[in-house]
Amino acid sequence: MSNAATFDTRTDTAIPVESPLAYSYRHSGAPRAGSSSRLQLRERAMLGHLILRGGAIVLDEAVRDVLGISLPGQPQALVQDASGERSIQWLSPDEWLVIVPGGEEFPLETQLRERLGDAHFAISDVSGGQTLLELSGEAARELLMKTVVYDVHPSNFPVGKGVTTVFAKATTILRRPSEERWELVVRRSFADYCYRWLLDAAAEYDVNVQP
Amino acid sequence: MSQSKQQVFRLNAGGRIDRSRTLSFTFNGQHYQGHPGDTLASALLANGVDIVNRSFKYSRPRGIVAAGAEEPNAIVQLGSSEAAQVPNVRATQQTLFNGLTARSTNGWPNVQRDLMGLFGKLGGQFMPPGFYYKTFMAPASMWLTYEKYIRKAAGLGRSPMEADPDSYDHFNQHCDVLVVGAGAAGLSAALAAARSGARVMLADEQEEVGGSLLDSRETLDGKSADQWVAQVLEELAEHENVTLLPRTTVNGYHDHNFVTLHERRTEHLGETASVINGHRPVRSRMHRVRAGQVILATGAHERPLVYAGNDVPGNLLAGAVSTYIRRYGVAPGRKLVLSTSNDYGYRAALDWKESGCEVVAIVDAREAPAGDWVDAARAQGIKIITGSAVIEAKGSNRVTAARVAKIDIEAFKVSGPVQELACDTIASSGGYSPVIHLASHTGARPTWRDDIIGFVPGLVKGVQACGGANGTYALGEVLAEGVEAGIKAAAATGHAAQAVNLPSVERLQQGPAVALFQVPHEKPTLRGPKQFVDLQNDVTAAGIELATREGFESIEHIKRYTAMGFGTDQGKLGNINGMAIAARSLRRSIPEVGTTVFRPNYTPVTFGAIVGRHCRDLFDPERYTALHQWHVERGAEFEDVGQWKRPWYYPQKVNGTTETMHEAVARECLAVREKVGILDASTLGKIDIQGPDAREFLARIYTNKWEKLAVGKCRYGLMCKDDGMVTDDGVTSCLAENHFLMTTTTGGAAAILEWLELWHQTEWPELDVYFSSVTDHWATMTITGPEARKLLAEITDIDLDRDSFKFMDWRSGKVAGVPARVFRISFTGELTFEINVQANYAMHVWQTLFKHGEKYGLTPYGTETMHVLRAEKGFIIVGQETDGSVTPEDLGMQWCVGYDKPFSWIGKRALTRSDTKRENRKQLVGLRPKDPKVVLEEGAQIVLDPKHAIPMPMVGHVTSSYYSPTLKSGFALAVVKGGLQKLGETVYLPMADGQTFEAEIVSTVFYDPKGERQNV
Repeated sequence: MSNAATFDTRTDTAIPVESPLAYSYRHSGAPRAGSSSRLQLRERAMLGHLILRGGAIVLDEAVRDVLGISLPGQPQALVQDASGERSIQWLSPDEWLVIVPGGEEFPLETQLRERLGDAHFAISDVSGGQTLLELSGEAARELLMKTVVYDVHPSNFPVGKGVTTVFAKATTILRRPSEERWELVVRRSFADYCYRWLLDAAAEYDVNVQP
Repeated sequence: MSQSKQQVFRLNAGGRIDRSRTLSFTFNGQHYQGHPGDTLASALLANGVDIVNRSFKYSRPRGIVAAGAEEPNAIVQLGSSEAAQVPNVRATQQTLFNGLTARSTNGWPNVQRDLMGLFGKLGGQFMPPGFYYKTFMAPASMWLTYEKYIRKAAGLGRSPMEADPDSYDHFNQHCDVLVVGAGAAGLSAALAAARSGARVMLADEQEEVGGSLLDSRETLDGKSADQWVAQVLEELAEHENVTLLPRTTVNGYHDHNFVTLHERRTEHLGETASVINGHRPVRSRMHRVRAGQVILATGAHERPLVYAGNDVPGNLLAGAVSTYIRRYGVAPGRKLVLSTSNDYGYRAALDWKESGCEVVAIVDAREAPAGDWVDAARAQGIKIITGSAVIEAKGSNRVTAARVAKIDIEAFKVSGPVQELACDTIASSGGYSPVIHLASHTGARPTWRDDIIGFVPGLVKGVQACGGANGTYALGEVLAEGVEAGIKAAAATGHAAQAVNLPSVERLQQGPAVALFQVPHEKPTLRGPKQFVDLQNDVTAAGIELATREGFESIEHIKRYTAMGFGTDQGKLGNINGMAIAARSLRRSIPEVGTTVFRPNYTPVTFGAIVGRHCRDLFDPERYTALHQWHVERGAEFEDVGQWKRPWYYPQKVNGTTETMHEAVARECLAVREKVGILDASTLGKIDIQGPDAREFLARIYTNKWEKLAVGKCRYGLMCKDDGMVTDDGVTSCLAENHFLMTTTTGGAAAILEWLELWHQTEWPELDVYFSSVTDHWATMTITGPEARKLLAEITDIDLDRDSFKFMDWRSGKVAGVPARVFRISFTGELTFEINVQANYAMHVWQTLFKHGEKYGLTPYGTETMHVLRAEKGFIIVGQETDGSVTPEDLGMQWCVGYDKPFSWIGKRALTRSDTKRENRKQLVGLRPKDPKVVLEEGAQIVLDPKHAIPMPMVGHVTSSYYSPTLKSGFALAVVKGGLQKLGETVYLPMADGQTFEAEIVSTVFYDPKGERQNV
């Protein structure tokens, strides 16, 4: 253990939780559209989000042992497990974002800490601070062109890539887990702004929201 | 010509218009008809509308001169309703649609009978260049008054007074090669680049793609030029990586090949976009393009000749005459005189003749013109008058005759007798000016080329010009240059060239052009009739001459003195002529005089497109806490703190009336002091710090000591910049030996995280420590007041005993069933617990607190009450008590500075400078107004002697000031020179309204000076 305080912020009792978009669904609604919809927006709420910091050499083996997937070897890379439910994304030379099903983050942190022992690293739980939005549909790339400054052309943004970029006047983590899907990781406090922006920009595509 | 509702000037055949359909439109209240394919300008000409505007300064009648972006006169206001108003649209660029409603921008009561014209605006005849500067600049204080009236008279369009029903957006685009302009050069460049597989964007500002090929007399592979255009477009459409943007003006070229494009998506269809499937499509779109390579294929603008009366309606550019005939099927008159300095101008006469109208004469400035088009004109039996020019146009509302004479260009004089030729149209051509505007946006100075009598773009890395933009005008050469540019650009972005077979083009014999700009008149320029250089800004040749005589030698000064090339025109037609006239007056060469700088945007851009979606409630991000819904439902008023919306206060309804802010804050303050209050403190920045060197790092970044802070303990920390000035503060807690949680100010959160990373990465990389923002992960609820312990005890398993959970301790446990970290720290001076839970649980915990809190009088309070309570305790707010010039010592916070720490922490050295050590620095003190009802103004200046003559020496100012319901008095914090030595002294605060307030300098701690209440 690295002499850091771990803290399981989740409780297993039936205590109500609110996703970062709870306010937005009440105030801006969640438009439903028929088969004509060219853009689907789905929130993957309450997932486990960890920020992993440390040298790649220090972390790689432990991550592979504990999570079963290896640390992305390249900058701006996104690695997922076979189910697609667990992923690691390169954020900066010594910083990774790990996303796992909700509730797995604390056991994962504990196991990683045990496995890493006295090595120098940091793990911070940010599960309450961000949410994951999934975009799919034929207009997804066009919507992103209205929204992020980064080049989302397939030649520059293949599947398995992830970047941190400007989202309108905020920032986002943008990733492409598969041909059809894009994912946005937005911070809780900016989530309503991002959601309203997406609804507005995607209105012309007959956006369909799945909360 | 009389105004007619028949399209009397419409030709029976030819042009790219659809005569089978008719569109109705309104101009200046009159109804007219045109056809699909028309611009507003071509439709006005077809209807014989001569006067489309009144001029800017002299209010002279003006007609259509050009057929494109360079049109200086036909500037109209569009819109049939208030909300649909669009100012400053060029009629030559506005596609005609059914129901279009337009007005002249100038002219009162109308353009036909303009009263202002009788006198000239503001006495136009008496308005020499520099008039505004000479007349209105003094006294300077009156400028705002003058400006209002001058703007009204100046007569550019007006903005709508109602909300725009349309929507706009931005597109972020990336490409290998951006081709600007889809004429002969642009199309061949795009084709070459596209075949290499590069990502290509091709933008063209016109309704139809093809540029001059759409009205060319020349053939490609023996077929009409527009067939080749169609064939190229077909191929480009098949390339997946090609984006073709018609109706898209490349308006701004910025650094590093960042280019802004303005696409008009519905402006050709109607004045507002029609709703489709319940959505209104965007009217305009701004493309923000990051291009690897840029190819400027912007073509050239024909340069008019400058002669007397050249602004009378009926004076047109030669090329515009051809365009109206060949593209729009309109002959803009009956009897033409052409005045030219080159072979290209002859095409207008040939087109005119072929359309069945009369060419009175071609007047050529050259003694012996020779070339294929000259021969063609001779063969048609057109009279050619050589060595001559039109020296003056006669007529007032329309040209009635051209005065023609032999001229001596070298000596700048009329050298033969004048003959008058009756006509209604004078076309002129002084050659071409490459459209160098975009290249100029980078600041690159253009280069003069004698061989083409024009400036070509000064280029920067990653940019090429080809075709007309590069001074190349012969069609075959233009196509070849385009291909070469396309191949080069593609190669530069890593794409190998593919062969492009160019179509065969007839080789034309052409004679050399002569450099003619201003045509001499019998009278000297200053005394002769007006010769206009810049029609939009009413700048004359005489005006430029006068400016040079008055000592303005730099072209930039001449521009500002005369207004040449100002405004929406940006000197498209007039600038080169103006420079040539300045050069002649100054007896210099044109390259010596140089050009002025063209600025973005190339043509006016509607504000909507600039704003895009960043308007109304998307203007700026609003950051919400996890409890925002509750605050809204509770009726909170919000305060902006950075981008956060924080509850400011919670007004209640008392007996049907809503509390004022003062009442609400007083109630909230007393609730905290007497019972218990609750604050949403989630916005405070929170940084998770881990690593064996975390403690050492804190000691270097903060001014105070961290060596002995035990696990489970919290400490207030103060941060300085390297200049020794306070930059942030907050409480940092020791979570484990190698693990700390830092809190920062709300506004400083992002900057402080960067600050930590900066020092770690650049100065102390040897320290093993990592930082991560956890601001959004935690929701923070502060319960504070004498009843806080009782309330929390009801819903937590944490032992709250005062001796085991002391002030400045933290504990973890469950609150309302949710895992929580609770910190016993206080910003109010009362017994306080800060409850932190994962944000997704926040609403449940907050509501549970209220369920249990009612019996204790739990009262939500906002930032205003927080400010009052902390100020009563003398707690500073960084950014309020500090302004980047305040040291810890100025704040009396020596207790928070570890002078003897082993490592030199940030700011230490600066605090030993003589300036930071001097005696009379402004120091933080308390102020108690002599009259308890007075609440001093924040920012009010403090003086020691109110009877001192003005200017009084100012010794400080108020940083925070409130009314305290607890003290039943106003009170303030202030910085005063040497203030800590002045406790008990009286100071004065003279106010703008003449009152002077008196106050006593006191301690900064107004309440509970021993700090007993927070320790209970």
